[in-house]
Amino acid sequence: MIRFSNATFSFKGSAGVSDATFSVDEGEFICIIGPTGAGKTTLLRMIYMDAIPQEGSVEVAGFSSDKIRSKQIALLRRKVGMVFQDFELLDDRSVFENVALPLHVIGMSREDVHSKVDGVLDKLGLTEKSHNLPHQLSGGEQQIVSLARAIVKDPVVVLADEPTGNLDPAASFKILKLLEAIQESGTAVLMATHNYNLVKDRNYRFFEIIKGQVRASSG
Amino acid sequence: MDKFIYLLMEGYRSLWRAKLSTFSSIATIGVTLSFVGFGAMATSNLARLANESRTDYAIEVFFTQLTTDSEAQEIMNEIKSMDRVREGVLITKQEAAEIFQKEFGENIYDLLDDNPLPTSCKIKLEESGLEPAEIEPVVKAIEAMDKVEKVSYPAKAITLIESYFQGMLSVVALISMAILMGTTVLVSNTIRLTIFSRKDLIRILKLVGATDRFVKIPFIVEGIIVGIAGGVLSSLLTYLFIRTANSFLMLFTPYQLIWDWRVIILLILVVALFSILGSRKAVKKLLT
Repeated sequence: MIRFSNATFSFKGSAGVSDATFSVDEGEFICIIGPTGAGKTTLLRMIYMDAIPQEGSVEVAGFSSDKIRSKQIALLRRKVGMVFQDFELLDDRSVFENVALPLHVIGMSREDVHSKVDGVLDKLGLTEKSHNLPHQLSGGEQQIVSLARAIVKDPVVVLADEPTGNLDPAASFKILKLLEAIQESGTAVLMATHNYNLVKDRNYRFFEIIKGQVRASSG
Repeated sequence: MDKFIYLLMEGYRSLWRAKLSTFSSIATIGVTLSFVGFGAMATSNLARLANESRTDYAIEVFFTQLTTDSEAQEIMNEIKSMDRVREGVLITKQEAAEIFQKEFGENIYDLLDDNPLPTSCKIKLEESGLEPAEIEPVVKAIEAMDKVEKVSYPAKAITLIESYFQGMLSVVALISMAILMGTTVLVSNTIRLTIFSRKDLIRILKLVGATDRFVKIPFIVEGIIVGIAGGVLSSLLTYLFIRTANSFLMLFTPYQLIWDWRVIILLILVVALFSILGSRKAVKKLLT
């Protein structure tokens, strides 16, 4: 489903990603570990084609970085859910509106948007907070909203870039469990983290990235 | 359809979120455009005045002294059958003497032994009003007729009104163009500010798979709403201008400016068009 073939993306002031070759199958849980600035975020950006490799190629859900046109990048991103360290929620919109955003983008009818968002909020325990604004929630709750927005469109993969970076240990563990539940439901998960202690005992497939070099790790 | 409604609502809601800049833009557009509205309304009224003057003024045809009333009647009938001639009224020598007495208070037969006033007729042209260039051939054709001594037509007065009308039309067109260009820039800047203030939304939309068009449409909708609201405000101000101007005019003349809805609708449509151009310009520059 995801295939990196000697993919390189470099830019000034950062290691970028150099000559990465690996693949990810459907429903896998991949944990990308490495220190800050090692290239974890760049690797994820290459998957959602925010960074197109200068050498080699990246294939994601049938889209290849070699051939993809700018209009198709939007279509690819509809198949990819994303979660960020700083949540990336819209402060002036309710939890419901934030989660509904990807569904409006694909042109889903109002009724379907309501039933789909209500379902996801219920699943993640956010029903009672659906009318709240993000600033009325704790950090952990905001990250769960971000997770809800990522999965509401039934993506083939969820990319989580330091999803626990701003959270306390209890909230971090809760997010981890939710990501695992997502993976168990058949969606692949790629999580980048520098917090090795959080994930060291988990049964994931690990990639270690140091100065842009990606290599498989036993964890 | 749901997507389209969502995008329209997004445009409306984001205007509401940026109330201050939205209302200041609408107010600025409304006030500046009211000058265009008033100018257009004044031009429309002057056009009406010019048209009325063309239709109300009559061509006066004077026959030779030896022309009898029945001969004059025949010639007038011939004139009435001409293109663009609406009506004709014959004034016999006797009637001319009566008009003379009415206007000067003297009987012509008391002053002179004979009545030197010629038989004449008043010819009126088509109601819609003709251009001076269209009237001239009619006048020339009458002049060329047998037994016609003189044809009188107040060409100078009409030409004067025409020239005022043309002059005013040019000035209003020039000012309107400048103000509409200004409106385009103003809408463009408003949308640019909105785009800057909503960088987060744009980034998140792109991350969740929004196409460029999906991101752009709400901004275009915002531009159109700002433009139309400015157009409506300018209409209200123009209405107030007209009322005030009429109350002043009433002191000097029975002539009153008439409110023309067509001008206002046209104004709003043109503003909407220029707003689309303005918002498209901003969106193209910042979101492409």
